[in-house]
Formats: sequence, structure tokens, C-alpha cells
Amino acid sequence: MGSLLAFKRPIFGLAMLLFGVLMITPFIFMLSFSLKPTSEVFIHPLQLIPQKLYLVNFERLFAHEYYFNWYRNSIVVVFLTILLRSFFVTMAAYAFARLHFKGKNIMFLLLISTMMIPPDTTIVARFLLYKYMHLVNTHWVIILPAIFDVFFIFLLRQFFTGIPKELSESALIDGCSHFKIYYRIILPLAVPALVTMALFTFIWSWNDFVNPFIFISSIQKQLVTVGLEYFQKEAGRDYAMQMAGACFIVIAPIAMFALSQRFFIQGIVMTGIKG
Amino acid sequence: MMGGTEMPKEVVRRFRSFMARENQVAYLFILPFVLGFLIFSILPMLYVFLISFMDYNTLKSLSHVKFAGMDNYIRMFNDPIALGAFVRSFIYTLIYVPGLIVFSFFIALLLNKTFPMRGLSRTMILSPYVANVIAIAIVWSIILDPYDGPVNSALRAIGIDPPFWLGGANTSLMTIAFINIWLSLAFQTIVFLAALQGVSRDLYEAADLDGASKWNKMVKITLPVISPTTFFLVVTSIIGSFQNYASVRMLTNGGPGVSSRVISLNIFEEAFTYNRFSYASAQAVILFLIILVVTIIQWKGQKRWVHY
Repeated sequence: MGSLLAFKRPIFGLAMLLFGVLMITPFIFMLSFSLKPTSEVFIHPLQLIPQKLYLVNFERLFAHEYYFNWYRNSIVVVFLTILLRSFFVTMAAYAFARLHFKGKNIMFLLLISTMMIPPDTTIVARFLLYKYMHLVNTHWVIILPAIFDVFFIFLLRQFFTGIPKELSESALIDGCSHFKIYYRIILPLAVPALVTMALFTFIWSWNDFVNPFIFISSIQKQLVTVGLEYFQKEAGRDYAMQMAGACFIVIAPIAMFALSQRFFIQGIVMTGIKG
Repeated sequence: MMGGTEMPKEVVRRFRSFMARENQVAYLFILPFVLGFLIFSILPMLYVFLISFMDYNTLKSLSHVKFAGMDNYIRMFNDPIALGAFVRSFIYTLIYVPGLIVFSFFIALLLNKTFPMRGLSRTMILSPYVANVIAIAIVWSIILDPYDGPVNSALRAIGIDPPFWLGGANTSLMTIAFINIWLSLAFQTIVFLAALQGVSRDLYEAADLDGASKWNKMVKITLPVISPTTFFLVVTSIIGSFQNYASVRMLTNGGPGVSSRVISLNIFEEAFTYNRFSYASAQAVILFLIILVVTIIQWKGQKRWVHY
């Protein structure tokens, strides 16, 4: 029986590997098509490995007037969102996890219950309000609202609650202020949670389409996702060119994911299992 | 020993002031977040209700906007396009959520076993989650191109008359649901996987002693034990299923005809193509109420199948 199992496992492993390859087939197509001239994209039977490397699509991509602009804009927006979100979210999460105050539970419940509202339902109101606040068509219209994301309060609170109480209690007895405890003791211990938050922020902000699409009107200020849509329309029937554009935008989050999968999985488990 | 009656009073006083200080400090800690949250999340939620009762249905200055009562709501219930969009969203949810839950559960079961190169397989299976929705739309549109795409070329080569996928009135909604399941199943899979790993081994060993079949163990142990997780995932997936504007817009833009014009797309079109902000808001409010009712029904119904 045992030997039968040992014999079966590699076959099962191989099947799972094939299934994995099937799941990433669209990415394989993306890469393959971007390395061909468009005239060869729809040739049948399909040739996934190009006969010779054709780099013209990427050369044209790099020469595009806005493409790197969008890339730079996205990097700046994501970086600022991570920075500011880390500050505001960890402060509030610290209070919810470690301090006693009146109305704590009801306030936390109220915050969490707003996660039930799909953001698409408030898009009209947000557009009108942000226009009124003169935020529209600046990068702040993406950054500022993104800072105050309840999902991360939930995530960080879970993490902070898990840090042993004794650590902060002894510091408190020594006369440490709560702010000192927060940034001297809790924050250094929460680095894995902060990395998880940075990772999710990066992936979600980088891939966000709706907000920049509605709130930013000038194309040179755009971020990668809407930029890619513009690029696609501009490329028209040049499918290989579209694929090259797509490749270059997908590569950043996929590389990030492959490198830090552990944090990613841990983050989802923490929010999902206690839900 | 310290003096008799003064001590407890002093302790109580100090304790009270200590707690009061903690209260103050806590409010200082949450204040920045709560302020921002009020401005950027709560205010829009209230505002969407307010506008839905106004006549802000053209581009005009806010000072000319008047109260319109229930007009936008009445209009909506006489608008076949809006009503049709609600129905289509409902159908979409009925395809997307069961597909997502079953598929992600199945993958979690497979990944829960030990096998060679498990890490690599897992990375590949989960990676679509991080991909950009526009890039995904571009590549799937090409793969599923009804005439020249690789999938349909292959199907024709083996003698099957292929469907039109995103280009077919009967298949567009289903194809979008399929692509979105593929894109988002990592989240559900990871949560299921964690839940499966949390099921106590003792339960299975006891069942083995009783000679329970694999199927019995699944139905009598695994499913009941992970049912709170399943409940959580069903509730959040239903809410998420209405959040599909970006993918629908990029994959079909509601077409062909109106066959995939879901309510999120309808709301965006009304608001940002025709500037009917109040009318779009009324539809958003109804959508929100539907989600609320569905969630409450699930909450009430969970006693019947969720075991805590």
C-alpha cells in the first residue's frame, strides 16, 4: 500500500504541475505573442515558441511618448499610498487592538460593516465630492481615499492582538507613553504585517482601473492600468503590440507575488479565517 | 502595611484617571484615520443617498439642482434597460459565485495533499490573482477571438463548431464569469486551504476506526467543520460579484447588444456618459439595498448549515 502511494504521488504532482501551467496559459500567450510580429499571432497551428526573437514591439513600446510616464506615476502613487497608509492604519489598529476606550466595539463593527458596500455603488458621489474638493485630475485623488482602507485596519488589528500583552504592560509600568510603545515595541514587531500590507497595497493600487479611469482626465497623468487601455486602443489591430504593453505591466506584480508569496498567503489567511 | 481605608480610594482614583487617560490617548490614535474615513468613505455613502433624490441629471451647477423626490426611483422601475441590467447582474452572480466556491474548494482540496513540486504548482495556480484586469482582458479577447483565436481555431480543427464566447449574445455573460473566476480564485483557495489545514486530524482518525468512506468523511467531517469559512466566502463573493465594472467594460462593454450589460456598467454609463448623476445614484442605492437584503437573508439562514 505504502509503495503504491509513493508511486502515485509523482503522477499526481505531474498532473498538478500541468494544471498550474494551464492556469498561467494566458500569461504564456501574452509573452509569446509579444515576441512576434502581429501577422504571425493568429497563424494556425499555434506556435507558442517564436521561431526567431522579434523585439520590435518592445522597441516601439519603449519609445512610446507616455508609457514610462504612466509607469513612473504609478510607482509614485503606490509608494505614497503605502507610506501614508502605514502611518494612519497602524495608529488606529493599535488603538483597536491594545487600548480600552468607550465605544470601541461598536466603532469597530461600524467600520467593518462598511466593507459590505461595493465601491462601485458610491462612485458617482465620490466623483462629485472630489470634484468639489478640487482633487479631480491630481494624483491625490487616488492616494488620499486609498489611505483610509478598513480592510487593513482589520488585518493589522488581528496582527497586533497576537503580540503578547506582557511586552507593552511592563513598558507601561516603566512609565512609557502609549505612543512610545506603539513605535518602539509594536511597530518593529509588526514588520511582517507591514510587509503584507505593502504587498497588497502594491498589487491592488497597481491594478486599479476604476478610480484613475474616472478621476484622472489627462492622459499624461494617468497610471499604468488606464494607460494600458489607452495604449490598446492606440495599437488598434496590432495585437502583438497590445500584448507587449500588457506584458510589461503584468510583470511587476507577478514578480512581487512570486518573491513574497508567504506574506501574501499569510495576509489572506489572517483576514479570511476569523471572518 | 499601608494605612486602612485611604488605600482603596486612592487606588480607585488612580485607576480611574489612568483609564481616562487611556481613553484620551486611544481617541488620539484613531482620530486621524476616523476623520479621513468620514470624509472619503462615509460622506460619499451619505451623499449618494442625497443625490438620488435630486434632479442632478444634466451637467449644471450645483446651485441649480433641485429636490426631485422619488422621481429617479419611479423612472428606474419603468426603465427596461436598468431593470434588465439588474436581472443580468443577478444571473451573473448565480454563475460566478457557485463556480468560484466549488472550483476554489476543489483546488484547495488538491493543494492540501503533499506531492512533489507543490510550491511551484501552487504559485502558478494562484498567480492570476495579481494580474492586471486590463492586461487580462486584452489577452483573453485574443485567445477567445471567435474567428482567428487559438481556442476556436483548435476547436474547428477537431471538427467542433465553436461558440462565439465574448462575442455571442448567449455566451458573453458566462464567459466573463469564467474569466473572473479564473482571475480571483486565489483568495478563496487560500482561505479554504487554511480552513482545511485547521480540521483536527483526530476526527479523521476516529472516522477511519469506524471504517468511514472518503465520501462520508467529506460530508460528515470536512464540510461541517469548515462551514463557517464557506459561509464567509459565500457572503463576500456575492458582494464582490457586483463589483465587476472594469472587467465587463474591457471584455465586452456590455455587448453584444445588451447581453452583458450588468448593473455596475449601467450605473457608470448613466453617470459618466450621460451625466445623469442622480439617476445613476438611485440605481446604486437600489443595488446597495439588494446586497443588504441578500446578506441579511444569508445571515439568518446560516443556522441551517453553518456549524460553529
